[in-house]
Amino acid sequence: MSQRTERRGGIHVDQSDLLCKKGCGYYGNAAWQGLCSKCWREEYQRVRQKQIQDDWALAEKLQREEEAAYASSHGPQTQPPSQSTPPHPQPGHASLGPFSKFEEKKTNEKTRKVTTVKKFFSPSSRSAPKKETQEGKTPSPSVSRRASFDTDQVSKDFVDFLKNLQKPGREIHKQCRAFIGNMSSKKDLSADELSECVQDFYQNLADRLMGHFKCSSESVEQVMDQVEKYIMTRLYKSVFCPETTDDEKKDLATQNRIRALHWVTIEMLCVSFDEEIPEVSENVVKAITDVIEMDSKRVPRDKLSCITRCSKHIFSAIRITKKEPASADDFLPALIYIVLKANPPRLQSNIQYITRFCNPSRLMTGEDGYYFTNLCCAAAFIEKLDAQSLNLSPEEFERYMSGQASPRCSGSEEDWSSPAPAPTNPVLAQLNQNLEVLSGLSGRQEALMEAAHSLQADLLSWPESVQHEVHDILKKYPLEVLPRSAPAIDDNNDVDNDNLPPPLTPQVV
Amino acid sequence: MSAMRVDAKVVMLGKESVGKTSLVERYVHHRFLVGPYQNTIGAAFVAKPIQVGENVITLGIWDTAGSERYEAMSRIYYRGARAAIVCYDLTDSSSFQRARFWVKELQNCEEHCKIYLCGSKSDLISEDRSLRQIDYHDAQDFADEIGAQHFETSSKTGSNVDELFQKVAEDYRSTSFHGMTLQETGVDLTPKKDSSFYSCCHNN
Repeated sequence: MSQRTERRGGIHVDQSDLLCKKGCGYYGNAAWQGLCSKCWREEYQRVRQKQIQDDWALAEKLQREEEAAYASSHGPQTQPPSQSTPPHPQPGHASLGPFSKFEEKKTNEKTRKVTTVKKFFSPSSRSAPKKETQEGKTPSPSVSRRASFDTDQVSKDFVDFLKNLQKPGREIHKQCRAFIGNMSSKKDLSADELSECVQDFYQNLADRLMGHFKCSSESVEQVMDQVEKYIMTRLYKSVFCPETTDDEKKDLATQNRIRALHWVTIEMLCVSFDEEIPEVSENVVKAITDVIEMDSKRVPRDKLSCITRCSKHIFSAIRITKKEPASADDFLPALIYIVLKANPPRLQSNIQYITRFCNPSRLMTGEDGYYFTNLCCAAAFIEKLDAQSLNLSPEEFERYMSGQASPRCSGSEEDWSSPAPAPTNPVLAQLNQNLEVLSGLSGRQEALMEAAHSLQADLLSWPESVQHEVHDILKKYPLEVLPRSAPAIDDNNDVDNDNLPPPLTPQVV
Repeated sequence: MSAMRVDAKVVMLGKESVGKTSLVERYVHHRFLVGPYQNTIGAAFVAKPIQVGENVITLGIWDTAGSERYEAMSRIYYRGARAAIVCYDLTDSSSFQRARFWVKELQNCEEHCKIYLCGSKSDLISEDRSLRQIDYHDAQDFADEIGAQHFETSSKTGSNVDELFQKVAEDYRSTSFHGMTLQETGVDLTPKKDSSFYSCCHNN
């Protein structure tokens, strides 16, 4: 605004420039692009309409592209048509309606802003909101596309695997698809009933393979692994931590519980880790990573293998520390320690999910089952953990739990070998070091700021002091005190006065 | 080893330091841990195939933590076990009391689990008879009472160790061949099979 008025004031404006640009004879207004109010309204409506149409066209184009990409990402026979194709176009359509409305408001705002900056019809302003549209739109479909991409990959693998089996393969595929279709209509069953359905299906399929197709038990196991992978990838969303259970509440409780137990030390649990050995702490970190990673897997068996990997790392850590193979007496406390350190996300949900939907033969007997059982034990132990299970007095336990004391501070009475937390963990040491560096930096920054302030103060006071000095000098040698001589020479010595030329009289006037 | 198919789950129960791990170690690797061993990663879970007649049976042997602080969780461990080897130290009478506790637990919770009572460290007794705190006949009486097999083993010399596990495998074989028809098809499958097939056909 101020810019405009300035310009108006500066430059002479022709009368014709003030009229509406459309030539309707009314006066135009710069705020309306030099149009009169009527013409502006028409023009604005037209532009807005075009913008909306463009947005629609763009959205449609995007959607077509997406569908094309989606269709090409999987073979025609692998995709059960009833499954994931329909949900995809829908979110696009559904979001389009409200979205374009929102976009319309946005452009509305934009155009208004733009007019004042006089850029309304420039191509850059037109394309800018479009880009935003694109970027704002893509994330939601792409995320779901990614998830479905994984699912498609799994189905593709599954079909590839079944191709080798020929006739039984076709039968298995048919049964699995029928089962999944069947399950989608049973959404409101309780978790235990769902689990029973899945377990029955495993059992029936395995029996049929054994009985009808006379497969060997090894190949049945292989097939069952693939079937589990395929089915559970598809069912995961509806059966993991379902709303009908209080799994989520338990997850939160466990998470908070573990958080409250942050003070538990290796010594209290009698874990034989020596984390000062780099190899040990490396294994500990890996174990923690693995147990956290469990939550990201969808197939029960993949979750189990995360637990198994975690356990193997724990065994390595114990073996390196103790220089002998670990027994269960070493392992369980170590696993508890790892779980406490990791605080794995949705621990209870994951345990429940594995228990409900994993192939039972694997869970009950095999090595994976052993480690899983230990994890269940660890979770149960943490839930019930009290003073006695850590060899603490109830008072001590209470104090630690309430955060009034920390075991590291009471080092003197308990005689911990290393009271300082710093050397126990290289990460922690690094953290401390970083903190030190940061505090050093902030100290220097403060000093710098102080110096800058004092410099500023100096600079501010300098002209004052100069002025002061000048003032003083002026006071000392006032101008008007010497009417006979020139005031300009008052700072000179009287001795010098003699040398000066006499004609000073004109200045007195 | 992880990919190995396991037929039966065998849990090792017993107080801390009665020698559960040593027993497994002796049986699987034919050695007794006296010094540092580096080649095995851990002895907590082992899958061991055993020749029984014409068949090979793979036992999955589960070591458990014996400390009392984990006592409440022991039930999670022996769920679904086909056999439990309850160990006690022949030179430690308290360990026998703990063994009695586990036997009771097993009888209450896991009726299909066969119990094997195992007195460990018999080599110490043969060196010095005065160390014995659990009388052989007392233990045998207890075993008879609960319908269990009784062994006295030494992981150091290997005495009776193979016999113990061989017995476990043989018993499993006879019960599983006998029980396959009786238990698994009879109890587990038929009722479930019907319900599931019915729902399948019904909804399609």
